[in-house]
Amino acid sequence: MNSAYRAYAAKRLFQAVVVILLAYVLTFVVVSILPGDPITNVLRNPQSGFSEEEIAEIIAAQGLDRPVLVQLWSSLSAFLTGDLGISMRSHRPVATLIGEVLPSTLILAASGLLVALVLAVVIAYGTRFLPKRYGQGLLRGFPSLFLSVPNFVIGLVLIHIFGFQLGIFRVIEPDSFWATFFAAIALGIPISAQIAEVLIANLDHEADQEYAAVARSRGLSKARLFARHLLKPSSLPVVTVIALTIGELLGGSLITETVFGRTGIGSLVQRSVSTQDLPVLQAVVSLAAVVFVVVNLIADLVYPLLDPRVKLLGTPQRRPVTADDNSSGIPTAVTS
Amino acid sequence: MTFATYNSTRLSFWSRLTSDRLPFTVALSFLIVAMAIAWSLAPGLFTSHDPVNGVPAHKLLGPSLQYWFGTDHLGRDLYTRVVYGTASSVSSALIAVLIGVFAGGLIGLLSGFLGGWVDTTLARLVDVLLAIPKFLLAVIVVTAIGFDTTNAAIATGVSAVAVFARVMRSEVIKTRQATFVEAAYLAGGSRWHILWRHVLPNASRSVLPLAVLHFGDSILVIASLAFLGYGDPPPASDWGLLISIGKDYLKWPWLVYAPAFVTIATVLSVNRISRWLRKTD
Repeated sequence: MNSAYRAYAAKRLFQAVVVILLAYVLTFVVVSILPGDPITNVLRNPQSGFSEEEIAEIIAAQGLDRPVLVQLWSSLSAFLTGDLGISMRSHRPVATLIGEVLPSTLILAASGLLVALVLAVVIAYGTRFLPKRYGQGLLRGFPSLFLSVPNFVIGLVLIHIFGFQLGIFRVIEPDSFWATFFAAIALGIPISAQIAEVLIANLDHEADQEYAAVARSRGLSKARLFARHLLKPSSLPVVTVIALTIGELLGGSLITETVFGRTGIGSLVQRSVSTQDLPVLQAVVSLAAVVFVVVNLIADLVYPLLDPRVKLLGTPQRRPVTADDNSSGIPTAVTS
Repeated sequence: MTFATYNSTRLSFWSRLTSDRLPFTVALSFLIVAMAIAWSLAPGLFTSHDPVNGVPAHKLLGPSLQYWFGTDHLGRDLYTRVVYGTASSVSSALIAVLIGVFAGGLIGLLSGFLGGWVDTTLARLVDVLLAIPKFLLAVIVVTAIGFDTTNAAIATGVSAVAVFARVMRSEVIKTRQATFVEAAYLAGGSRWHILWRHVLPNASRSVLPLAVLHFGDSILVIASLAFLGYGDPPPASDWGLLISIGKDYLKWPWLVYAPAFVTIATVLSVNRISRWLRKTD
């Protein structure tokens, strides 16, 4: 905990706060200004079926008759104090709506991440130990294959094989253990690919280091080398990658929930999109940004403590660090 | 020295393509992508069935010589629907990539080349775009501008801007510090001349594989948006929409598997080409 670290932490914290505030503003701009006037677009849309009195009531309740900047200011300050507003449709607080469906999405996202981690380690382990003739190359192609399959297709294939053909779970009970299990697999597979790619690249890099050669020359077995020496330095950058995949976990659960018929944040977003329930969308998207920023902030703050080789930037001799710049020997994470 | 890189890149792309050491999988990938492009340019050449009007008596038939991918619940040939859906699935992905490359590239170029407060401001904007989950961003943008396939493509492009901006910025910074750029300054080159003739061509080299990679990614995101019903409504036959319709007929699994297979084959090929471009560069 030296002063360089404290300065770094303070700077990152400040950045995180700025990004969260700007993300809220950007979402506000996209959600309520781009489509023109939300009153005419949403409320007076004949499909919505609001009467004139209801429209007047909603306009008054949401304060839609005020200037846009005033609306933004009051909604942002409410957001900062934890008030997420009132749904335009169900007239219930958005926080309650989100609170009702959050546990289901958290369970799905956590188990999806677990599946992704297990799969990634298995694949990375396999690429080091599977002999070439037993398909090591094939295994190395797995991440690329996983990234090419839409996750709703994985979900549908799992439902078709394990739900309909084998009858392991019933589609009408989306919250049962097996249904959740297969939903987590559908969500986890594309994410495992990203983690596995970074893990494999780092394992390859670490295996070329001198310390690995020394360990090998001392007669260490392959499995011991992997477990005792290579895995730890290679998995450090994975911390950053996991933090970066949080966004994809959230986006992916939107689709996975639809495919498996689960109720969750995803189904809430879908319902709000089809009914143009702007306060709900605004809240969900900005909360997603908050989660993403906070998780990445934690990852960035923890990383220098985990890996003493990481030198903190931001000092006068700063030099640009690029995504593929690996000359310092410090593994950097892929940011895409 | 590095001056020659710009000209030799383009030459080497074609020589790489025509060299006899082209790996088999890469050749196959090019073939599949060429097929998809041909389908989208002239779908009528590849099938004699009607994509919109089916033969009700032939509904839900399995794959056969007459109907390669089987038929759907209205007796329409699924292969024909996939072929006709290619145009919007592939061209919309192209729109998305172009938006990402141009908007993201411009942001990255300005931010990396000008530095200072421009860089700080644009970097914050990119951070904000990265903070909102990509798919969620695409969903709210398409909600804001209306549900159809072109808008889904625009939304997908917007959600990709940040990644291109980041890569472009780091490449520009790297190039700006190269000796030949310094030499160009000393030789009296103006800022914009150097930006245009030296920095941009060299920095965009690594954007090409990324653009190809994002082309595959965009096909997936647009298919996901179509799957959720945010693209053109039926009788359009975007791949994602076909899979979405097929999921209600899981007793006739080819309705899901056939369009899914085409999607996966195309994206896998695009990704393979991107990897090969990155490796041989």
